[in-house]
Amino acid sequence: MRRRPPIVAYILLGMWSMVVFFPLYWLVTASFKDALAVHQGPKFLPWVDFRPTLDAWRNLLRGVERETVWGPLLNSLVVGSSSSLLAMVLGASAAYGLARLPVRLGPMANEDMLFWIVSQRIMPPIVTALALFLMLRTVGLLDTRTGLVLVYVAFNLPLATWLMHNFFRQIPPSLEEAALVDGAGRARVLWHVVLPVSTPGLVATFLFCFLFAWNEFLFALILTFNRARTLPILIAAQHTQRGIEWWSLSAMSLITLAPVVLITLLLQGYLVGRVLGGGER
Amino acid sequence: MGAGALSTAIVRAPVPRRRAEGNAFVLPAAGLLLLLTLFPFLFTLALTFSRVSLVGGLNLSFAGLGNWHRLLTDSRFWTSLGNTVVIVVGAVSLEVLLGFGLALLLYRPLRGGAFFRVLFIVPMALTPIAVGYMWRMLLNETIGPFNALLQAAGLPPLGWVSGDALPLLSMILVDTWQWTPFVFVLCLAGLQALPEELWEAAQLDGASGGQILRYLILPLMVPTLLTASFLRAVEAFKIVDVIFIITGGGPGTRTESLTLHAYYRGLHAFDLAYGATIAFALFLLVLLSSLVFLRLTRRLRATEVWA
Repeated sequence: MRRRPPIVAYILLGMWSMVVFFPLYWLVTASFKDALAVHQGPKFLPWVDFRPTLDAWRNLLRGVERETVWGPLLNSLVVGSSSSLLAMVLGASAAYGLARLPVRLGPMANEDMLFWIVSQRIMPPIVTALALFLMLRTVGLLDTRTGLVLVYVAFNLPLATWLMHNFFRQIPPSLEEAALVDGAGRARVLWHVVLPVSTPGLVATFLFCFLFAWNEFLFALILTFNRARTLPILIAAQHTQRGIEWWSLSAMSLITLAPVVLITLLLQGYLVGRVLGGGER
Repeated sequence: MGAGALSTAIVRAPVPRRRAEGNAFVLPAAGLLLLLTLFPFLFTLALTFSRVSLVGGLNLSFAGLGNWHRLLTDSRFWTSLGNTVVIVVGAVSLEVLLGFGLALLLYRPLRGGAFFRVLFIVPMALTPIAVGYMWRMLLNETIGPFNALLQAAGLPPLGWVSGDALPLLSMILVDTWQWTPFVFVLCLAGLQALPEELWEAAQLDGASGGQILRYLILPLMVPTLLTASFLRAVEAFKIVDVIFIITGGGPGTRTESLTLHAYYRGLHAFDLAYGATIAFALFLLVLLSSLVFLRLTRRLRATEVWA
C-alpha cells in the first residue's frame, strides 16, 4: 500500500482534533469561571489567566438553581427512556413481522410497508408539529410528559423499525424454523428463540432512540412550556430571563451532554461497524 | 420474500393465517404512525387552506388559496428559503469533503487510530441546543475567543453574528462541526468494506497513491458519498435548533431558516394557518429535492461517468 509519510496524516488528524476539541474545552472551562473571568474578555487557561471556581456547579447541584434543573432533568429522563422503550418494542414487533411474515395492510405489502415507515423519518418535524400542537391541545395533553412521549415514539419508530429490521435479517431463519416445526407458536418462538439472540440489537436501538429523544428540541419547544419541559428547553429559555449567566449555562449544558457522551462511547463500536456498515441500502 | 420461501417449505400454516399474524405484528406501529404522523400531516395540509380561530375551541374556516398567495408574495419567506438552501448546499458540501478526507486518513490501521475515530464521532451525538449555546459563546464578538485570537494576530475582529454574510457562514460552520462525523462514519464503513486485493493489484501495476484514489477508491465510493449527501441534506433542510440559540434568526432575518420562520409565524404571531403553509412549503422543497436527487443519481450510476 502506498505509504504516505504518516507524519502528514498525523498533522491533519491533529488539526481536526483541535477543531473538535477546542469548543468543548471552552465549554468546560467556562463552567469553572466566575462573572469576572467571563466578562473581562476571553480567558484561556485556568490558574494562568483566571482562577477556576466551583460556584456555578455548586449553585446548580446544591444551591438556588437546584429546583430549576431538577424538574427538566427528570422530564428528560422519563420522557427519553419511556418513549425509547415503547419505540423499541413497537419497532421490533413491526420489524419482525415485516422480516419474517407476509404483511398486507391496505394497498401495502412488506417492502412498501417498510419503505413507508422508514420514509417518515424524512418529514421535517415542523410539518407535523403545528398540527400536533392543535391535536394535543384539543385532548388536553399539551405540556404533559404523556403527550411528549407519544410524539417521540412516533418520531423514533422509523429509526427503530429500520435498525431492528436490519438486525432480524442477519439472524438465520433456520433458528426459528426448527422451533416452528416442533409446533411452537409464533409468540413463543419470538420470546424464547428470537429475543434472546437479539439483545444487542435491542440495546443499540434503545440507545439510539434515547439519544434522539434526549436531544430533540423542536417538538419539546412547541408542545411543552412549563411542567413537562425538557433540558434543551430549559437551556433555550435561560437568556430570556436575566442576562446570560454563561458559567451556569455551561454547567447546565454539560449536565445535558454527559449522558450522550456516555452513550456514544457505548455505541461507537456499533456505529463504526455493524449498523451503518451492514445496514445501508 | 425470504419469508415466502421459508413458509412453503417448512411452516405449513395457510397463508391467510400467517398474513393475519404478520399484520398483527405491524399494526401497532402502523396505527401510531397513522395517528401521529399521517393525520397531522394531512391536518397541516388542511390548515394551509384555512383560517384558524382558537376562541371557544378550535374553529377552522375555508380560506381558499389565501395563505399560499400570501406566501408567494412574502419576502421574508423567500429570504428564509434562500438561507435554508445556502445552508444545505454549503454545509453538506463541506461535510462530505471533510468527512471523506478524514475517513481516508483513518480507514487503514494506524497507531492511535481508534482514539481519533472515537473523538471524531463525538460531536454528532451532542445535544444541538447545548452545541448551539457553546458556539454562541465562541462566536460572541466581545467575550468570545475567536475575535481575541484574531486581534492577537494583528487582524481586525469579525462580525461572526452581526455582519452581512458572515452570520450565515457561521451557521454553516457550526453545522459542519456537528455533522461532519456523520459523513465520516458512513465513509469509514464504506471504505472498510472495499476489497483489499483491489489496490494491492493496482499497486503491483505501479499505480501511485493519487491514481488509486482517483480511479479506484473514488468510483467505488460514489454510492456511499451520494447516500451520505442525501441523508445529510434531508436533515440540514430541517435546521433550526442552533440558529434559534445562536442568532434567533438575526441579524434581522439574515440567518432565519424555514423551520424557524414557520415557528415564529405559527406560535409567536399565533398565525397557525400561515405557519403551517410555510412548513408545508418546506415539505414540498424536501420532497422535490429528494426526487431530483434520486433521478440524478440514477442517471449518474447508469452512465457511469465517474468510472
